[in-house]
Amino acid sequence: MTDSARSHIFAKLRQVSRGAPTTTLERELQAMGRAPGAALPCPDLCAAFLTNVLRNQGSVDCTGNRSETVKVVGQYLYEHYHSHRLVAGNDPRLAAMPWRDAGVLPRFGSVEPGEPVALSFARLAVAETGSIITWTGKANPAANNLLAEHHIVLVDSADLVANTEQAWDRINQDMDKSGRPRGINFIAGPSSTADIEGQLVYGAHGPHSWHVILMGDVPETALQEARSIAGL
Amino acid sequence: MKQTSETFLENASEALKDAGKAQRRDLLALFTPMVRDAAINNFENFQTLRQHVKKVRQHSLDNLDHYLAQFEQEAVRNGNRVHFARDGDELNSIVLDICQQHSARRIAKGKSMVTEETGLNDFLQRANLDVMETDLGEYIIQQAGETPSHIVGPALHKSAAEIRELFLDKHDLGPRELAETADLVAEARGVLREHFLKAEVGIIGANALIAENGYTMLVTNEGNGDLCANLPRVLIVCTTMDRVLPRAEDASAMLRLLVRSATGQPQTCYTSYYSGPRREQDTDGPLETHIVLLDNKRSDVLASDYHEMLQCIRCGACLNHCPIYASVGGHAYGWVYPGPMGSILTPLLTSLEQSAALPNACTSCGRCAEVCPADIPLPDLLRDLRHQEATENLSSTPWRRGMKMHAWLARHPRLYHALTAIGIPLLHRLGRKRGRFSRLPMADGWTSQRDFPAPQRKTFMQLYKARNKASRRRADDR
Ligand code: SF4
Repeated sequence: MTDSARSHIFAKLRQVSRGAPTTTLERELQAMGRAPGAALPCPDLCAAFLTNVLRNQGSVDCTGNRSETVKVVGQYLYEHYHSHRLVAGNDPRLAAMPWRDAGVLPRFGSVEPGEPVALSFARLAVAETGSIITWTGKANPAANNLLAEHHIVLVDSADLVANTEQAWDRINQDMDKSGRPRGINFIAGPSSTADIEGQLVYGAHGPHSWHVILMGDVPETALQEARSIAGL
Repeated sequence: MKQTSETFLENASEALKDAGKAQRRDLLALFTPMVRDAAINNFENFQTLRQHVKKVRQHSLDNLDHYLAQFEQEAVRNGNRVHFARDGDELNSIVLDICQQHSARRIAKGKSMVTEETGLNDFLQRANLDVMETDLGEYIIQQAGETPSHIVGPALHKSAAEIRELFLDKHDLGPRELAETADLVAEARGVLREHFLKAEVGIIGANALIAENGYTMLVTNEGNGDLCANLPRVLIVCTTMDRVLPRAEDASAMLRLLVRSATGQPQTCYTSYYSGPRREQDTDGPLETHIVLLDNKRSDVLASDYHEMLQCIRCGACLNHCPIYASVGGHAYGWVYPGPMGSILTPLLTSLEQSAALPNACTSCGRCAEVCPADIPLPDLLRDLRHQEATENLSSTPWRRGMKMHAWLARHPRLYHALTAIGIPLLHRLGRKRGRFSRLPMADGWTSQRDFPAPQRKTFMQLYKARNKASRRRADDR
């Protein structure tokens, strides 16, 4: 059925198609240039990203190095759940963190039903949209983005780009090197719904809360600047 | 889905009787344009973006055979099986076959207007499959046995109190309060989570198909679509071929328009791109993935004068800004797609005969075209459909005769002016005392609902001429 459907549909499409050669199509696309993106809330990329994460109802932290990061994660865990456990994907960057220094007890693998906290290391982050990007795979099973109540995401400031076009440039380069992942997930906030009377409620299906830690070379004032722009 | 567009007028009258629902629609018609406007105003280059995306989409549609073939090739390379369906029945059979091959019993379904169009749920349920909608709005209306009233917020016609009653009735969870909206959301989350974990097949739609790499793009705020795409061992993506875009960055550009126009957000919570089944080293994800591409007359639309309609990105802004939609709600339109976009799509995807009332459900106010992020000239397309109705003799005989008479008169301006020069002063004299008429012969469609204002003494042309004459005289005097 589907073969004859295929030829039927393509025959109809060919009738109205311009039939232009690929080189012409590529040239035409090139000539259209790139789409304009949203203006950043401030010139500093880190502060702009943090502002948009806050606007997306995420919470944020900044750290200078790995030992500060594990400490911040430990504190966050303790403050929110009086626990030191979390689940993280088999990402070598996460495995190399000095978790013991902060008493954090990670389990490496996929979140199982009932496990409340997942940790991901973003491959990229986008300032324009305040989103983080993960790839599905061993380093970050998709369940870790979706099944836990709380999702903590680490972002290396070196992986922060200004807009979605730049993100795709980086993703396309990575895919040329290591192949196409099954899934590419842009996440911008905790799971939400407004399906009942338009009222916004968090934790519709995925995490109730979303905590982003920007680490590395982050200007000292970035966090404060972001909070003040976001009106917090 | 069963179509009742033929009785649009009766459906609309019925809808107007429920004062509570009418009030909720009024509120939504106030609130939804406000959030959209704020988001658009915050985005400085909206017009440039709109024109850019329009150009890219036009380019994709003009060369759809090329980009569709490229998408298919890349998707197959990524490990998918790609199917083509000429119509809804074919899509439904393909999906059922796949489910049966896997002896699946439980299906977790993400929001998809395309499968509403084909009536997939009913079809699968008749084959004894347990199909559960997982988008909260879709889940609510599925439980209530209703159809979506809006393409973005399918259950916005229901009050929280109604949903509470529905959940108490449908979920066997013992006595509980469910006082807050958050309680309702939490309960649905719990019920649906169980279904997700047991489902053997996930079905989702796609907001875009990317030709350069064979990925499909899915946007949600709830994350339900992603659970459907990641947990069950088989994934089926059902969508239409006009969703193809050349590059991933084109999909992102389109998304900038979509989110702002649909919900006023700068970005959806989950924007996911899926390429196929799990890779060798992966620890999760479906083992088998299918993409079903539906035509259902879209290739005819592409070849017709209505081809611009294929640019629609399903944002719902035209619904939110339409005075008719706001008054009568989505169900009155009698099929899957309501509001201005639905009044065009329904005749094109079903038949003009079955939905002749819809293109007339328009005040020609033009708000839809103003806000449409795809820049579709919706009022023009609606007018063209009305014109087609007249030429195909689909409207009622008195209506057609009246229109013909009016057209003839409009082509004879002298006679037109002469007749109005008699009629207008007469109406003015008759209605002078009250300033309005509560009854008028041949106009009871108007006067049964509201008074008809009495006209001023002179016609527009008389006033216009007098004004021109006066200004000419002033100029001569100078
Ligand atoms: S016609 Fe335009 S405004 Fe209406 S849903 Fe489609 S894209 Fe949105």
